[in-house]
Amino acid sequence: MAENKPRKVVQKRLPREVYSALKNVVGERWIYEQRSVVETYSKLSIEASTFLRKHEKDPHLLPACVVLPNSTEEIQAIVKICNRYRVPFIPFTNGQVFCAPTNAQPTLIIHLSRMNKILRIDTENLSATLQPYVDYGQLQAEAMKRGLWNGGCPLATSLCKLASQYSFAGLWQTDLKYGLLNRNIVSVKMVLPDGEILVTGSRCIPKAGDFWEYGPGPDLLGLQRAAAGTSGIVTEITVKLHTWVGDASFPEIPAGRPSLVDVHEPKYDSPPAPLKNHKLYWIEFKDFQSQIRAMREIAHAGIAIGLNATGVYSAFYCSQTQEMTIQRCRTKFFPDWNCYVILANITSDQQIPYEERVLRQIVEETGGIFLSETHKPEVLDALKPWNYDCIRHTTGFRMNRKMYANAWLPVGPLDSAFETTEQWKKALDLFGECDITDRGGADDTPFVYALQRGHFCFFETDNYPDPVLPEEIKKAQAFGIYGNAVFVTHNLGPMLMAFLNVEPLTTMFPEVGPNAHLLMRKLREVFDPNSVCAPGRQVFTEEEWRQFPEDIKAAVNKMRAMHNLPAVV
Amino acid sequence: MSLSSDLQAYFGSEAVSTDPLVLDAYRQDQSFVKPRRPDAVVKVKDVTQIQELIRYANKTLIPVIPFSSGLNLHGGTIPTQGGIVIDMSGMNRILMIDDKNWSAVIEPGVTAQQLQDELSRHNLRALLPFGIHPRRSALTSFVERDPAVAAASFEYGNEHIMDTELVLPTGELFRTGLWSAGEKPGSPLGPVRAMLNRLWTGAQGTLGIFTKINIKVEYLPMQRMVRLFHFDAFPEIIEPLRVMQRREIGWECFVINNVNAAALFCESWMVPEQLPTDLRDASEFYALRKALPPWLLVVCMNGGPRLPEEKLAYEVAALDEVARQTGMSRYENDVYEDLLCREMIRPWGILKKFCYRGAVHDVSFKTTLRRVPEFQRILLEVLNRYGYPFDDVGVYILIMERGRAVHCEIDIHGGIPGTEDAERIYQLWLEISERFIDEGAFFDRPYGAWAPLVYSRAGTYTEKLKQIKKSLDPNNIMNPGKLCF
Repeated sequence: MAENKPRKVVQKRLPREVYSALKNVVGERWIYEQRSVVETYSKLSIEASTFLRKHEKDPHLLPACVVLPNSTEEIQAIVKICNRYRVPFIPFTNGQVFCAPTNAQPTLIIHLSRMNKILRIDTENLSATLQPYVDYGQLQAEAMKRGLWNGGCPLATSLCKLASQYSFAGLWQTDLKYGLLNRNIVSVKMVLPDGEILVTGSRCIPKAGDFWEYGPGPDLLGLQRAAAGTSGIVTEITVKLHTWVGDASFPEIPAGRPSLVDVHEPKYDSPPAPLKNHKLYWIEFKDFQSQIRAMREIAHAGIAIGLNATGVYSAFYCSQTQEMTIQRCRTKFFPDWNCYVILANITSDQQIPYEERVLRQIVEETGGIFLSETHKPEVLDALKPWNYDCIRHTTGFRMNRKMYANAWLPVGPLDSAFETTEQWKKALDLFGECDITDRGGADDTPFVYALQRGHFCFFETDNYPDPVLPEEIKKAQAFGIYGNAVFVTHNLGPMLMAFLNVEPLTTMFPEVGPNAHLLMRKLREVFDPNSVCAPGRQVFTEEEWRQFPEDIKAAVNKMRAMHNLPAVV
Repeated sequence: MSLSSDLQAYFGSEAVSTDPLVLDAYRQDQSFVKPRRPDAVVKVKDVTQIQELIRYANKTLIPVIPFSSGLNLHGGTIPTQGGIVIDMSGMNRILMIDDKNWSAVIEPGVTAQQLQDELSRHNLRALLPFGIHPRRSALTSFVERDPAVAAASFEYGNEHIMDTELVLPTGELFRTGLWSAGEKPGSPLGPVRAMLNRLWTGAQGTLGIFTKINIKVEYLPMQRMVRLFHFDAFPEIIEPLRVMQRREIGWECFVINNVNAAALFCESWMVPEQLPTDLRDASEFYALRKALPPWLLVVCMNGGPRLPEEKLAYEVAALDEVARQTGMSRYENDVYEDLLCREMIRPWGILKKFCYRGAVHDVSFKTTLRRVPEFQRILLEVLNRYGYPFDDVGVYILIMERGRAVHCEIDIHGGIPGTEDAERIYQLWLEISERFIDEGAFFDRPYGAWAPLVYSRAGTYTEKLKQIKKSLDPNNIMNPGKLCF
């Protein structure tokens, strides 16, 4: 825990025998122990607990060594060395979430940045096989040349890696039609934590080819998904492709791509609309009920490829500075109750005209009004950054807000949006907000993703603490734990981050499953018998649980007690 | 204490049977899986009874075999190592139909027909597989991944399971999806890992017993239109199919040969209640088979819930355009088109095929569209060697996810277990299966004799499955002898 006096962080070192063995695998050029290099791998972007550890100068956050392998075989050799010497390792791509060392032992980072090739695009059977460092933008650029695309892109930029998102996340703006990443994986080839190579789906049978995702028999592709990097290292992922009716080359915004230095400049605000064969509509509603009703009707009508309500996101997504974001939040510049709809001509050029007629019918029935040249044209103009980004994230990580530290991402039927909002309001009243933008999701709509024709939805509400203030980050962290207690007591969704749980929440919420942690423990023993792959990140062993700090257990139990849940000991 | 008295003490005498006459109903199905009579059958009423029975089985190390309708047709519920059959056919309630969010909660004993009838009262439909028996457990069909007839549609035809509840092999209750956080269903995700529920699919009850599931359902289209196209040889179908699927035309899209088409259109045959069944007069079937084209491509377009005529109009125009572009010829027959429209919702008419020779042994696998002719050549080669005419083989090719894959079902007719030709048909069926697997046909649901052929080739996948099985079912009581367990 934090101490008052400054603490010097001493880097741990791997035993020389281990270092030598690793060097023999990747070569001298691709192994690093220098402080200046390994320090980079402890600068993590958005996960609150790890961020706090950085503030607290937790020496265990600093990896001992980094290797950059270039093939499945090299990764297998590295993982086998880790098993032989019981060295924990962490798979690493962008370093956005869940990539910090998990315990006090000298830890190896396996950075996959050299494995960045698209191995195959199968235009006949609609799939692409990628190395783990291939990102959405890279894949889409190649696929679109062939009249295909993968079906979506996360709002967290097109720099995200698809293989990495197999371990965590994979929520797209066009989930209405194409589903989450869950629905779009054909197979993975992965080095398991014990060093064995697992290939899933039809690819595991000689001569069958790589085209079908399930089986044989019980499905391991699904089992290994969203393991937060604890199920091994994906070295090849085959994803599904779908018909793309836009241009063969995705148009760039006229000002070109922004960099981190100039991302705030207004010249990036206005990508032209629409894309060829696509149309984007913004609709305002008089209240939350009308918005949700309209979203359900649109989803069920079978029209559109994307349907989302953006809430407060429009403020920081379309603003040039944090000040502008706050100003727009205060003045309610963007409509509180809104959604956007993307239509596409896939079957025929008569498809958009038909779908637009259906859309207008629904909007009229639900009392909505389209943003247009005659209704709030200045707002429509300000929303232009979405023009391309709803399909592929071209603007960069332009989120003019403070640190994105914690999120409630419950998942369920559309009506759950109301309960989520109520509970978020209660939490804000209880803990106080980190920033005015936290009110998005309470005073405004949460970000609502309508998924798979509205059969279920995600609702996102977030905290935005100041990253230099540990107390603010702790507050955000408390929100998250409190949220888990809310979910299990109000049946709002089983997961803090929507796709997975990590410790100590897996063990400390045995209501989930129930006792999902016991099942996950068994599975961990099967796949990681020597506890080397991000040990204890997703589920503790009995022993790790016993050694887990009592003060954190007490803090979580305090949140549980607020919801009349018994203490977990 | 004997098994019978133990079970009667737990579940009451009415629920338990050890009578050989009763047990014989569970000893075999129409497949080639070796029959074996169970030691007992228990008709359970609820999830608590299932948990009790699982705990008893762990204590006594007696295998348990989950049974819902017995219409798996591939030996999935035959008690390979004896044991207790858990008959869940009495758990047949549709617990909820959510009109607002389009889902339905079903118990294991709910049949396909029961579900579709009830849903139609709500203007909804379940996406069912072509050839499902109306009395087959809908739950089992979903969890065993029977491909829906609408599988060509990426959006509507695949991944129907939302929340699930199951009893683990050690007796604990476990729930996935939103159910894992309470009583309300409404999401397929989680807990802990997003797609965890898929571990138990295609598992033939070897890793747990589903006690209820929440499935996605869709609107019942008030307007549908089927178009038929005819071809002389399968390779001619490939390019039109590819073009059509890239434009995402229609939900349902499949190819049948004249054997299957003749059985489906045969008015003098009915869907048999029991399988295998008695042979029926085949004169109408023969006449139809002769008259029908060798291959029919079936495409069904569905009007949307709003402005259905307009949606149909642009889809039909797009299909006509594809037909012109690719030289596809329409097979115009209003009667057949109407019949097929009905079959898209209640897709069991094709089971009339059992009337031809009493039993049908399918070889079911996944491959890619362009490889189908390759497997057709292998099929002809093996058939020739056995002197079995291709004219007696039914073929069903289902397009999956806009052509990413195809599901193939090759039907060998005859071979009712215990009859004269059973051994010859078995050898033929096995050799076709083996040759296909050798050449890369993917048997994603390896039933019966397929299991060792598939798992001996699957390397680490097989090893990990075995380790998971050992970890979750340490006493190996759950349907032992199936898959690689």
